[in-house]
Amino acid sequence: MGQLIIVIVLIGLGYVVGSIAEKRHYRSIISREAQLLHIPTVSVKNMIEGGVDIIDARMVQGSVVISIDHFKRILASLRNIFGGNVTAYESLVDRARREAILRMKEKSPNADIVLNTRIETSTIGRSANNRKSIGSIEAMAYGTAVSYRK
Amino acid sequence: MRRWLTEQPYRIANDLKYSPKELKTNVNVTQTSSLKEFFILIAGVLVFLVIGYGALGFLVDFIAPRLPYKIEQALSGPFEHNIFDVKKNKESEELERILGELVDVMPEEVGSYRATLVDDNRVNAMALPGGNIIVFTGLMNEVESEEELAFVLGHELGHFANRDHLKGLGRGLVFYSLFVLLLGPDSSLTELIGGSLAGVQVKFSQHQEVMADMYALDLLNRRYGQVTGAMGFMEKLASKEKKGRLAYYFSTHPHPKARIANIKSKIWN
Repeated sequence: MGQLIIVIVLIGLGYVVGSIAEKRHYRSIISREAQLLHIPTVSVKNMIEGGVDIIDARMVQGSVVISIDHFKRILASLRNIFGGNVTAYESLVDRARREAILRMKEKSPNADIVLNTRIETSTIGRSANNRKSIGSIEAMAYGTAVSYRK
Repeated sequence: MRRWLTEQPYRIANDLKYSPKELKTNVNVTQTSSLKEFFILIAGVLVFLVIGYGALGFLVDFIAPRLPYKIEQALSGPFEHNIFDVKKNKESEELERILGELVDVMPEEVGSYRATLVDDNRVNAMALPGGNIIVFTGLMNEVESEEELAFVLGHELGHFANRDHLKGLGRGLVFYSLFVLLLGPDSSLTELIGGSLAGVQVKFSQHQEVMADMYALDLLNRRYGQVTGAMGFMEKLASKEKKGRLAYYFSTHPHPKARIANIKSKIWN
């Protein structure tokens, strides 16, 4: 019984604290994305013809690690039974990738464009679905920050 | 500085201008209420459990009475290891004698039974799979006559004759299997339920308890030609019982007073 209560408390805590943290993170993501909107981030490999002179090109990367909470974990494992979209993890992955891109852009605030942007995602703590550990997601974004001569 | 790659396979208009635009919607995250989803899924699991438990439970009740005695013996292996503090003295010999005489008058031909006296203050007796009847010394101190003790033993024999212990075991197994199926063997919830499984299999429904009482009366009648011993023990239990009748609604044994009423009506008939 005591164990059950602990599980329920952890799930409740995960829901309350987890949703507060997520809302706060999304607010931060949205406002920072607006601030850095002037740097286009594209996946093309090469500079497109257009008569610009490049004065600086450097690799930039940003990475972030976000942990899931007990509520998301239980919700996802319930979803595993029935199948369908694991919405609990969708926001987690979305947050991680957008945050990684933001951090990458923040590393090159004076760039005119980030070319060849790539995003890698990996799990940290392989035993994400084991009973006693909780998994995390790492997202890393990298690309080539290019500045033109103006 | 040199211009980067001019041999592009495509051309872009020279006057293309980058105009930053903020996206207001997020297509990568489904906009649902996670709490609502949680409760819908939990409800789904519960429906699955209830239906599965009900259906398989009926199957268990169907199979248990038809299970050959040999299979029962094989199933009882885990219960052979005695976890209790077994006592061997004159009282336990007396217990074996009374049990033997009751088994002799049993109408069914079913396996071998034995009684084990265990040093414990609880006023209780248990029927373990494999034909082992556990009697606590606490109960031995309460009974005053051979017939009272015979009623208790007859009650447990009744559980064996009705295969209640197998039904309990089977239902416990069904319950556990469903949980393992749902949550996997590693889940902490499964471990928790597995831990309480030992309790599940020795608890019987109220109907089963009444039937065991009736069976005991029948045995007492065959053995001693009268059933007054049963009443004595029940009345003692009833006078000691402080719990109200309501609490008994949720417990496994019927209230002693209800059991007395049942016994009386059986005697008159």
